[in-house]
Amino acid sequence: MRRLGFYRTILCLLPVLHFLLHVGFGMGRGAPDLLAVGLLLLAREVRTGTAAGIGFFLGLLEDAFSLLAFGANALACTLLGVLGSRSRELFVGESLLFLVSYLLLGTWLRAALHWVVAGDDVRRDATQALLIEGPMDAVYAALVGVLILLVTGVWRRDPSM
Amino acid sequence: MSSFEPDQFESRGRREWVLSLFFIALSGLLIALPSPAQEQVAGVFRGTVLAPFIFLQESLSQARVRAAEMAELQMQLDAATAALSAQRTLLDENQRLRALLELRGRAGPGFQSASVIRAGTRGSESMILLDVGRDDGVQVWDPVVSAEGLVGVIREVGPSTSVAMDWTHPDFRVSAMTLDGTAFGFVEPRHGAFREEDRLLLNGVPYYTTLEEGTAVVTSGRGVYPRGILVGVVESLAEIEAGWRRGYWLVPAVRPAAVTHVLVMTTEASPSGDPRPGEEGMDAFWGLWADPPPDTLAPLVETDIPGGVEVDPGVSPDPDTIPGSGGPGP
Repeated sequence: MRRLGFYRTILCLLPVLHFLLHVGFGMGRGAPDLLAVGLLLLAREVRTGTAAGIGFFLGLLEDAFSLLAFGANALACTLLGVLGSRSRELFVGESLLFLVSYLLLGTWLRAALHWVVAGDDVRRDATQALLIEGPMDAVYAALVGVLILLVTGVWRRDPSM
Repeated sequence: MSSFEPDQFESRGRREWVLSLFFIALSGLLIALPSPAQEQVAGVFRGTVLAPFIFLQESLSQARVRAAEMAELQMQLDAATAALSAQRTLLDENQRLRALLELRGRAGPGFQSASVIRAGTRGSESMILLDVGRDDGVQVWDPVVSAEGLVGVIREVGPSTSVAMDWTHPDFRVSAMTLDGTAFGFVEPRHGAFREEDRLLLNGVPYYTTLEEGTAVVTSGRGVYPRGILVGVVESLAEIEAGWRRGYWLVPAVRPAAVTHVLVMTTEASPSGDPRPGEEGMDAFWGLWADPPPDTLAPLVETDIPGGVEVDPGVSPDPDTIPGSGGPGP
């Protein structure tokens, strides 16, 4: 069973870790998209409106560094929060396979939404952005996200399941 | 009262959807905001919630520069000292001659050294944060340069930090010319499939002017950039509009991703609003980034251009009078 309080604390720390790696340590794309991982997992713990609000706030924080497509991250993350929250009604899963698939698809979706919302100035070639970079970033983020959850011990399969 | 439960759930569900739509609409509103308002909102977050992360990278960047590049910095300092010593005599002579001619002193640029801070987040391409701001004399549209050449321009200034766009930004334009002043044009960025493939295009070069590969292209002094800052070197012919103009690919002098330390050219030395060096003098930055031409802006005689311009020796050509030359920058 997951220890709920500790689990939620870790989820809240993921966006902090994201900004620490990307902005604080200046790792750029070398660091995984833990903002999306944190948002996707948090969204399944809260109501739809709250998930949208969290997504909006986190996206806005990323947009603070965006000269070219201000608001694109906010919109993408808000939509991701809504979809993540609604996914509870479609998929009920506690397995590692579900977790990896959910994070992988969600992170890719975030990149895709940003690509759609961002203007022509930012938008790169669709093949490059959606079929090469997007999936690679998604796999990286999903694996690191799962690893963090497993290492911290907050995600364990319920023995009764 | 079980009959109330569906209503409660329905009401809560509706409220959640309304809240979600509110945040989606708010996000759409952010996208539609005018640029200055967007920058204000972004500035608030950068100055509050994100300030510790920016401060951390700033500290790490400075520590890295101090630790790893000390030997190189020492060499650069020695070279700069030697160059300044050699120019001291010329400077004194120039000042005496200007005094004799009763010319006012040249408005020199102030250089503010700054550490580059990169957000590295999605959508932060083409943007760099600098650890100098209004308190250091930095203003909007101040050029940002490095030892290699032109990096970009300041877009937003805070008390102690500023935001600059590098040359990969779609809005970046600079009026440029070749070192010998025979060709003027506009330099603009062109995106490649990868960020590493971004390059510069020198556009609007007169059709009958051909540029050799390796020709240095510098700022022309029209617009916000002083004259003589190296922008890049000609790589190849990019496009031809028959009988009208040519465009050339440039190898950029600076790769923004590799820049860790820059100089902001402030107008601090000219508080009275005197013109920038490039507007007033012809040779403000010759020699800093590229070797000066044999004769500074040699007489321009474009005999092969129908209706070409002929300029008297010793008189600087006005780009506005040259066919295909660029006008003022941004």
